[in-house]
Amino acid sequence: MHSKKAIEIAIKAGKIMLVNGAETYRVEETVKRVAEAGGLSSVNVFVIPTGILLSSEIDGIPATVLERISSEGLDLEAIDRVNRFARLYSSGTMTPDEALEELKILENPPKFSKRARFFFTGLAGGFFVLLSGGNFIEFFLAYWIASFTVWIFDQLTLNFFINNIIGGFIASILGLIGVLAVNRLGGSASLNTVIVGPLMTLVPGVALTNGIRDLISGELLAGSARIMEALFIAVALAFGVGLTLQLSLLLN
Amino acid sequence: MTFLIQGVYSFICVLGFSIILNLPRRLLFIASISGMVGWLMYIFVQNLTSNFILPAFIGSIFVGLLGELFAILLKHPATLFTIPGIIPFVPGYGIYYTMYHIVNQDFDAAMTQGATALFIAISIACGIVLATSVMRLLRPFIRQYVYKKM
Repeated sequence: MHSKKAIEIAIKAGKIMLVNGAETYRVEETVKRVAEAGGLSSVNVFVIPTGILLSSEIDGIPATVLERISSEGLDLEAIDRVNRFARLYSSGTMTPDEALEELKILENPPKFSKRARFFFTGLAGGFFVLLSGGNFIEFFLAYWIASFTVWIFDQLTLNFFINNIIGGFIASILGLIGVLAVNRLGGSASLNTVIVGPLMTLVPGVALTNGIRDLISGELLAGSARIMEALFIAVALAFGVGLTLQLSLLLN
Repeated sequence: MTFLIQGVYSFICVLGFSIILNLPRRLLFIASISGMVGWLMYIFVQNLTSNFILPAFIGSIFVGLLGELFAILLKHPATLFTIPGIIPFVPGYGIYYTMYHIVNQDFDAAMTQGATALFIAISIACGIVLATSVMRLLRPFIRQYVYKKM
């Protein structure tokens, strides 16, 4: 009975980390550490982006648990908290029941308010445009487009591919309208520069880099899976933007 | 002057992305500093060479070293500092552009963009891994130094 709880704690801790986008080796390390702290012996952990496999020996009989995962993007606060939880738990200051309570709280880590997120998404997108050589009119457009795109993107609960098509479509159609309006009023803005910022907030550059990092450290399966995910997000965004450009050609 | 302006831009840019990534509130400032240093190194190296791999490599080494250092000092995982830190030069836009060219049947441009993006991503990952390995060697010495000071 005690071993069952130990497995449950280890799997739950790993699940929260993986759902929130932690690297594969970190999840494996954490699950292993927590499981061993819970008194399990000969622990083996195998993590890929869509699942966790944990096997160990209970009363001399091998036992394996599989947990299916669907990831929800990056949340560094959650990773940090589970990391701290793992350290506390393995130092032996928590009973299994306390640990389960704690993990239930960790499932919903505190987030920035919607308003702060809206404001800072704009800054992220806007200043990225400035970094890549845009002017202040383009900064202004990118600010509002990035904020609105991510705000709408956060409301979407469809499949990740469709979500990203819609995200790319919204970013580019807002960009197109903004650029046309600015140029009509005598300013100068180019669609390609304006759209860099809003797309950067959706684009999977970090996922690609993390995938390659997994490959370098020998996690071949997890690395390939992450790179494929990054590529397909990029395809979806390209579809969305392509849709807008086709529309604008039709309207002309 | 350009460095000052670029520093401010990259600081605010990384701050914004840190909030999108829901970084813990206390670490926002430090993560933005490490992102700023990484970006400044990136443009500094970019001015010296026409190579496209080297700037990202050097930039990410700095982000990685700072991240590991902060991780030791503040006792948080290093990822919390490195992921926001690499964002200004991560090739997210590059892979988007690759797919965009493919959708528009411009395969030559797609190949160029795709190879560039892939190798930038590889060099960033290499830089981070290199920094992590170096800091793992140095960690006992840094710990000793910090505790002696305290």
